[in-house]
Amino acid sequence: MSIVSRVIALCSLALATAHAQRIDSIPAAAKAERTIAIDERLASDAGIRVGDRVVLAPEPGSASGDTARVSAIVRRRADPSEVARSEYRVRLHLDHLQRLIDYGDRVDRFAVLTAGGTAADSVLRRINAAAFGFRAYPSREIAVETSKTFLVVSRFHRAIGVITIVASATFLLCIMLLKVDERRRDVAAMRLMGISRSTVVRSVMLESSFIALLGSVFGVVLGLIVSAFVNAHYQSVYRTPLRFAIITPSTVAYSVALSLVLGVGAGALAARRLARTPPLTLFGR
Amino acid sequence: MRLQLAGRSLRRNVSRTLLATLGVAVSAAMLLDMVMLATGMRESFASLLGRNGFTIRVSPRGTLPFDSEATIGQGADAAAAIAGVPGVTAVAPVLGATIHVLGSGPAVTAFALGIDPAVQGDYELLDGAEPTAPDAVVASDAFLRATNAHIGDTIDVAVGFDPQLRTYQGRRRLVVSGRAHFVYLSADDRAAALQLGTVQAMAGRERADRVSLFMVRTAPNVDPEVARAAIERALPRVTALSTAAAIAEAERRLSYFRQLAFILGAVSLIVGFLLVSTIITVSVNERVGEIAVMRAIGVSRWHIVQQITIEGVALSLTGAVAGLLLGIVTARYLNSILRGFPGLPDAIDFFLFQPSAAFRALGLLVASGIIAGIYPSWRAASLPISGTLREEAVG
Repeated sequence: MSIVSRVIALCSLALATAHAQRIDSIPAAAKAERTIAIDERLASDAGIRVGDRVVLAPEPGSASGDTARVSAIVRRRADPSEVARSEYRVRLHLDHLQRLIDYGDRVDRFAVLTAGGTAADSVLRRINAAAFGFRAYPSREIAVETSKTFLVVSRFHRAIGVITIVASATFLLCIMLLKVDERRRDVAAMRLMGISRSTVVRSVMLESSFIALLGSVFGVVLGLIVSAFVNAHYQSVYRTPLRFAIITPSTVAYSVALSLVLGVGAGALAARRLARTPPLTLFGR
Repeated sequence: MRLQLAGRSLRRNVSRTLLATLGVAVSAAMLLDMVMLATGMRESFASLLGRNGFTIRVSPRGTLPFDSEATIGQGADAAAAIAGVPGVTAVAPVLGATIHVLGSGPAVTAFALGIDPAVQGDYELLDGAEPTAPDAVVASDAFLRATNAHIGDTIDVAVGFDPQLRTYQGRRRLVVSGRAHFVYLSADDRAAALQLGTVQAMAGRERADRVSLFMVRTAPNVDPEVARAAIERALPRVTALSTAAAIAEAERRLSYFRQLAFILGAVSLIVGFLLVSTIITVSVNERVGEIAVMRAIGVSRWHIVQQITIEGVALSLTGAVAGLLLGIVTARYLNSILRGFPGLPDAIDFFLFQPSAAFRALGLLVASGIIAGIYPSWRAASLPISGTLREEAVG
């Protein structure tokens, strides 16, 4: 009963939903009675299968209920705007829903397919010129409006990313400086053996580049594992196929380049300082 | 003496000490921000819902308040049934509707709340009077700006259009009686509040005696959970939500931010610990000869441990203090980004500075600095004196 009532409360939303992926259905011949499509989540939670009959009503306990057959179970598309919404969704034929909720001959919105190109603008102008009480919007305008939330999240991620980069860069710089500093005796020995300053600097820089590269490879592998874990966790929490963390080649290139620059920079800085210090001082004499 | 020695040791390599302090400061700032993020949402949301003493929200069964367009029928009977539940002291009905303010230019669309002015928790009156008359309306600043209306003006309002007949539906002339701040809406939302009966009458047959939500106030000595359960028993067609449950639901929806805060906070703590422990370890390794000499002239092992631990504490403490300032600045910046969420109520802050939580977090960082210093210091103090001296002398 509780499942049914939750469905009822959300019937009105059915008009406004779209873009679902059909994953199961029954033959067309069996569709004589009113049929509905239900959300995969609802099917799973309520144990409803294709072919089952359910009662739909505009309100819990309402006498004006209607029996319909589940003809399809649909899966939501990976839409970020729906990720935090946990309600169930039912799709009905328009006239069925209008009658069920006593909505008259009204709709919440129309989606209009145009021939493309300039046709969309011309259709938009003509609809708005004739409109009274409604307004036509181009899809791109709606997309901009609905993506505002994600722009905010994206800006937040970028800001957090910058802070994380500053923190990790400082850490990396510290470690590289210390690592090179630890080599002061080796550097002193090399200098006493007659190896030139530039060779010393180059060898230390080569070593720090290798360490930075190794660290980057390790970091990329760790990133792949963590992103797989993050995706699995949030996909299960929000019950969505949406991917929350994506590692792209540009992300990898950016992080590897950043760590290489920092590593080589820190190595060069420390190596130059060591090479300028007299070998005996480096030995502590 | 120990403090002086620790200070000299840190000053010996200024660039390294500064870099380490900067590293700890950034880690501390990050940790503080994440603590503020983890606690801020909950606290500000709880404070928002707790305003005006309403402890329970009643919405159509299976929905959250204003999460869908569903409404509760037979609103007057439902209000009476809720008021009859033991412990309930006030019931505030609310009906949401879209209104269109008509004028010479294009109609201005706004969100209207039908309320009972005597018992309402949706707005705070800033100027003017409550909408006690059926044709009175109080409006937000954004509404007044968009309609170019002022207190005392009369506005032409409709709730819908009939495209076929090209007429307005539920048209009324309303008098702006006041200016209000709508606590659950953002400052940019065009909002208005008028009497519940007026909105129901304007919306016609489909909204007659219907309510979107009831806000319920309970007596201070009554457990809201008990009253909530009693309301659901009395009215099976509704879902009653206590403030605690509403906060839990909001937390579930925003769990991503809390988990992000936890993960990044933990990473910051680990980075701070690693940084201090690495710096101290390297610093100790560089001074094994010096430490052996101190031991040889009679300085106790405990003294050495204390001196080196003080270095770790000094690094962590300085970094934590700098991080506190840096963290507050970055938290304000990050908060200003997240406050850009469309429709976010003014009262919601994602980052909230709570001294107890902030100082606990920074205390944890300093404690990690102490722990980071103990192992290398104890290892250095335990080195065999003669062997170390010989090794350092011979090289």
